Amino acid sequence: MSRHSNPETNRWEEIQVTRLLFGLTEEEKTEYDRLASRIPVEELEQLDQVVASLDVIWADMQTEQLPEHLRRAIRIRASQELAAKPVVSLANPSTFPAKALRGKKYLPWFVSALCLMFAVFTWINNRPAEIVRPDVAQRRAELLTANQGLVQARWSPGPTPSEGATGDVVWSASQQQGFMRFRGLPVNTPSQEQYQLWIFARNQSDTTPIDGGVFDITSTEEVVIPINAKLYVQDAYMFAVTIEKPGGVVVSSRERLPLLAKVE
Amino acid sequence: MQVPLLTRIANGDTGAVDECIDRYGGLVWSLARRLSSSLADAEDAVQEVFVDLWKNADRYRGEIAGEPTFVAMLARRRLIDRLRKSGRQLESRPIDELALQHAAPLQTSPVELAEEVAQAAACLERLRKDERKVLELSIYHGLPQTRIANQTGLALGTVKTIARRGLLQLRVCMQVRNQRRSNEVEVV
Repeated sequence: MSRHSNPETNRWEEIQVTRLLFGLTEEEKTEYDRLASRIPVEELEQLDQVVASLDVIWADMQTEQLPEHLRRAIRIRASQELAAKPVVSLANPSTFPAKALRGKKYLPWFVSALCLMFAVFTWINNRPAEIVRPDVAQRRAELLTANQGLVQARWSPGPTPSEGATGDVVWSASQQQGFMRFRGLPVNTPSQEQYQLWIFARNQSDTTPIDGGVFDITSTEEVVIPINAKLYVQDAYMFAVTIEKPGGVVVSSRERLPLLAKVE
Repeated sequence: MQVPLLTRIANGDTGAVDECIDRYGGLVWSLARRLSSSLADAEDAVQEVFVDLWKNADRYRGEIAGEPTFVAMLARRRLIDRLRKSGRQLESRPIDELALQHAAPLQTSPVELAEEVAQAAACLERLRKDERKVLELSIYHGLPQTRIANQTGLALGTVKTIARRGLLQLRVCMQVRNQRRSNEVEVV
């Protein structure tokens, strides 16, 4: 697409401004991706850079110091992230286009590879949760043995209880890891709904508990599931399990909340 | 020449992490406070931005943008995305309502700015008053279009038009200045 004024160029500029300043709706995102595929790579992020430059100019960095507890949390997350294998970026895929994928001749291969990756990913995600696999159970036991900043709480019925579901949750503040144990929690159909854990901590308001990860239950026998906290957890005081749409949610409506565990 | 922090992090130098947090923590925090609907959200967002930063450190290219600009780009993208996903707008009150009473945002001293950002600051001075005002309200104060319209008395459609015109002017101005700078370097 050339820089000369035409309806498509105008629309491209307009949608970029909307994206950068106000955010895009799902429909606009689709349109943005369509238009972006026709823009030379070197031109894609020019307006992003302009806005980012203004952000830097106007960021009053001297008076806006990062709070110490956040600095600590970021440091902990960094050690976790940088120690782990590279993972798929959460950044908007529209914004870091790879030159190699712009050639049409690679598109079928790329789509096939994506489909294969998606199939593998879906299979991995939806595999039956194994009934107390020794490694998970062992890791839980080791966590209990280490007993470093450990909190433990029993599951109790939530506002929309699951009849007969029991178990507990253990969480290590120092290691920032923990495990949930369930018995009798109903099996879910991952394509229709999934369970999601929420961690209530002192560094979060009650309205925005920390996402502890999405999981499936494939047996009413005892199951142990690792907690996957998305943020640093400071002084966890309650855990809640909700039932959400597949893939989970960013903010839960808490309409279906079968289990709660309050730290005594 | 110093190796950029993000390049060091991408190469597995974990010693650069603290430096990175020291250098860009204030920038990200400042943006998060302005583009989040609550302090708790801002705290979550800052952590997410830094996770993005560790994951995307290998994508940093010094010849395309300065490090602070790259960090700000990543941060804004994440923050705007969070606002959209949560279905919230900053319609009610930005966290720092007091900042709205400032005639203009406090500007980082030019001596502290990297060259490319200093160029942007110079270009900003050349914008029309209404263009600068709309950009300040949307970028610095994080206001949605409706509130900018209320604040300025402009029609809703005009807000976006002026914002777009201002950004395009800045883009052209910055490109011209960069071109001049390249030519000067070649002559030298």
